[in-house]
Amino acid sequence: MNPETMNPETLKMLAAGLAMGLGALGPGIGIGILGYGAMQALGRNPEARGPIMTNMILAIAFAEAIAIYALIVAIIIALIA
Amino acid sequence: MPKRGCLGCSFPVIIGVAVIVLALLVVSLLGGPVGSKLLGLVGIHFELPAWASVLKPEPKLPAEAILHVGGFLITNTMIAAWITTIVLVVVSILATRRMKLVPAGLQALLEFVLELLLNFCNSVAGEKNGRKFFPVVATIFLFVIVNACLSLIPGYGSIVVIEAGHKMVPLLRGANTDLNVPLVLALFSFVAVEYFGIRTLKLRYLKKFINVSKLGSGVKMLFMGKVKSAFAEIFFGIIDVAVGLLEALSEFIRIVSFTFRLFGNMTAGEILLLIAAFLVPWVFPVIFYGLELLVGLIQAVVFGGLTLVFLTMAVASHDEHSEKH
Repeated sequence: MNPETMNPETLKMLAAGLAMGLGALGPGIGIGILGYGAMQALGRNPEARGPIMTNMILAIAFAEAIAIYALIVAIIIALIA
Repeated sequence: MPKRGCLGCSFPVIIGVAVIVLALLVVSLLGGPVGSKLLGLVGIHFELPAWASVLKPEPKLPAEAILHVGGFLITNTMIAAWITTIVLVVVSILATRRMKLVPAGLQALLEFVLELLLNFCNSVAGEKNGRKFFPVVATIFLFVIVNACLSLIPGYGSIVVIEAGHKMVPLLRGANTDLNVPLVLALFSFVAVEYFGIRTLKLRYLKKFINVSKLGSGVKMLFMGKVKSAFAEIFFGIIDVAVGLLEALSEFIRIVSFTFRLFGNMTAGEILLLIAAFLVPWVFPVIFYGLELLVGLIQAVVFGGLTLVFLTMAVASHDEHSEKH
């Protein structure tokens, strides 16, 4: 890589993008698994739609929180640091 | 005879509205920063007029100061928090001023919400504890959700005051987009958990964190000469102490995760709305407004519900629990 293009600004943007991208990887997989489980439960027991939906959304909120942490780190890197 | 039409309008009206909305969407998509860049590659110059386009957002993480009273800063998030409190107080006063046995209007709405919350508390913590935990959980829930909904009112962030440094600062900003407000809520929840834990279990509550009983008995065995079993007892005693320390640590980590979950979700929502309005000025941000309403509700449920679960865990006696199984 050309050293002249690797100024701190470039590295900062790269770091912010990597932080968000890698940080979203885990929660993405987690939410996928959650949706899979919820769909299976729904297929087996369609009457339990309400409780499954509520609990799925709650669990997704927890998984999503991890991605939000990564987002905060990315915002801090990009805007403040 | 079923009424023809959809959403209370006849078909021509619906189709007309849909066409207008779609046209606005397409125009703003093409005229926004993304579209005009893409069209510029092809050689067409098309931009929305200045009054219709949105300035490039510059999101700021720390809350901006509005006023200096002595050495004390009054930030825009503090004003938003006060407004939230005032709204809650005024609505409660209005709803309970003339209470009727058969509720109607505002009173019915408030009773519906509070009953839902109370039932939620009762279903998680049981009848007796549910009523005790209800004020803590309901306060957190109502504050978070009212705050999130208020900050979605159009024009909320558009009122601007000019600070001393000739800088435009929005007068209002959702209180939970400042790290301090979620931290206060998290500390409130933490203190409530410890208070109820100590009040119900007295000193037994602290045994969860400082568990030296096995270590002590192991040392006693060592002095009594039962060396072989003493070492096993001491080994498990050390594990118990470490587990207790981890429990204590997790108690504090809760504060951090509570704080950043709420702060992150609210801040991300705010920035998402700003950027959506910047990229495609018309129609498009409405979708995200709907999403943010849902996020506000979910975060309120998560914050209140987690506090409730931690409260329930704190008052559940450890010995009683192991006896049951």
